[in-house]
Amino acid sequence: MKLRSFVLLLSLIVPILFHSACQRGVQREGAGPEVALVLKTLNNPFYVDMEKGAREAAQKLRIRLVVQAPDREVDVEKQMQIVENLIQRRVAAICLAPCGSREIVPVIAKANRERIPVLILDTRVDAEILRQAGGSVTTFIGSDNFEGGRIAGEFIVKTIGGKGQVAILEGIPGHETSDERTRGFRKALSGSPGIEIVASQTANWERDQGFNVFQNILQSHAKVQALFACNDLMALGALEAVAAAGKTGAIRVVGFDFLADGREAIRSGAMDASIAQHPYDIGRLAVENAHRAIKGEPVPREIPVPVELITRTNVSESAGGTP
Amino acid sequence: MPNLRPFVWHYGRQIGTLLGLIVLSTVLWILSPHFLTVSNLINVAQQTAINAVIAAGMTYVIITAGIDLSVGSVLALSGVVLGSALRAGIPLPMAILVALVVGFSCGLVNGLLITRGGLPPFIATLGMMSVARGAALMYTGGRPISGFSESFRVLAIEEFLHIPSPVWIMLAVYLLGHLVLTRTKLGRYAYAIGGNEQAALLSGVNTKWYKTLVYGLSGMLSGLAAVILTARLNSAQPIAGIMYELDAIAATVIGGTSLMGGEGRVVGTLVGALIMGVLRNGLNLLGVSSFLQQIVIGSVIIVAVLIDMALKRQK
Repeated sequence: MKLRSFVLLLSLIVPILFHSACQRGVQREGAGPEVALVLKTLNNPFYVDMEKGAREAAQKLRIRLVVQAPDREVDVEKQMQIVENLIQRRVAAICLAPCGSREIVPVIAKANRERIPVLILDTRVDAEILRQAGGSVTTFIGSDNFEGGRIAGEFIVKTIGGKGQVAILEGIPGHETSDERTRGFRKALSGSPGIEIVASQTANWERDQGFNVFQNILQSHAKVQALFACNDLMALGALEAVAAAGKTGAIRVVGFDFLADGREAIRSGAMDASIAQHPYDIGRLAVENAHRAIKGEPVPREIPVPVELITRTNVSESAGGTP
Repeated sequence: MPNLRPFVWHYGRQIGTLLGLIVLSTVLWILSPHFLTVSNLINVAQQTAINAVIAAGMTYVIITAGIDLSVGSVLALSGVVLGSALRAGIPLPMAILVALVVGFSCGLVNGLLITRGGLPPFIATLGMMSVARGAALMYTGGRPISGFSESFRVLAIEEFLHIPSPVWIMLAVYLLGHLVLTRTKLGRYAYAIGGNEQAALLSGVNTKWYKTLVYGLSGMLSGLAAVILTARLNSAQPIAGIMYELDAIAATVIGGTSLMGGEGRVVGTLVGALIMGVLRNGLNLLGVSSFLQQIVIGSVIIVAVLIDMALKRQK
């Protein structure tokens, strides 16, 4: 009886493991060095696009690429485990989009001790804590989030004519990406005393929370004229709340990331603008620079990837729009 | 040759789980040259520690035919209280004690709601899951607390006999957990309550008290897991531990504890937690896609319970 249950268990696990081992065998024919790409999650189109850029670069450079991510974007402990396990796998370089700017530092130090170069993507690590831990990173490749927030702010100042009430939907508090975007946005607004930020709350990067939180904001601040959401998912959720309140078109909504859904919303006029990032390029640059680092060639300390304001006027010509 | 029969009879279900772990490890050893190395095995043990510590408490709860969905949130709350205590300059042992007390108190509230309030464990702990999470978020304003002294970090990285301290903590919890479950009143009564609560009550067991205590224990172990996690991340996050309850339940169930209560062993849970840890590690080492990993882990849980049920039918 016990035997039968093991056969059952094995018949499930073994094929899967062999299947993946075989896949590995196929990739190994390339026989180049192996680079790991560890993302925050794979259920956000932004990171899926980043993966695509990385994969295409890896194919060109004959690099074997391992892509891993925790199930949930906030699960930094799982991400640590993944990085630790990839260190055990002896990958030649790790490209990492950290789930937590501070929390991830110990494993970066661990990779350093094994002499595996670490390239940071999308979200910066806390420089001070990294220094304390005696760790170092090869480079940072990512969008200029502060600049993105700033141009979003300038756009809103212009569209509402320099006065009125404005709300912000933040990402996960304490996340560098959200903090930078918010900071940039506030900076752009600081020159216009007529504008008041009446609410700045988190919706944890999520669409349904964007809906709920903005609905609550509208309850308490009925006169809000514009909203800056730190990502498109929250902006799209907020648009539903705007529609539910019967205020479509009366509230200017600006998102960030320029997702495919965001692009449709801008086309239809429901959303006013979004800040486009180029995750495909981030992924591509990650692998290209990992390749350089492995060969011992110099890599710039910072590789900024430009951001771009997308409004109704340029939405059709912009090829971007993360699918 | 020593007579192994009583041992096998006693631990039959757990030996099955252990064999599962051995088979899984052998398969990984064949497939990946990186799996069976000392540093990787220590790595796996360390990664398993947090889930294993929570799952030890979960095992007690499930043996009483209960469930504790609040462990992840209680971990977050204990963690942020620990974090702020450390930031306030409270000495390390005191701060850890505070974290344990916070966890224990949440657990006691669960227990009282169940035993005095008459709530089903699922509902009481579901409520606590939300309350503790909300409290952790409110307490911190949603932001992680970090910047602890190096002496605290040592808890996660200090090695004794080349084995990092979280692994020692895990082993100590399981040794104690095993002894308490098999050698004390609390342990024996936990089985009695899970087997037939009415019968236990009629034979004079103060079921309410012991049940409450079991939930308190589960909460306290969540607090202990919070200490390990906070040291490991060097940061206390109010959003830590989301869905940890499911990992802990999975480890318990894979380890042969029946969700119907009345049977199970903590050693089985340790092996269950190790199976999950080895599986995650192995799938990473093999470079299996993250999506496929979820399918594999879910399937293992289902198969483990199927086996459990098949075995019961045969009895």
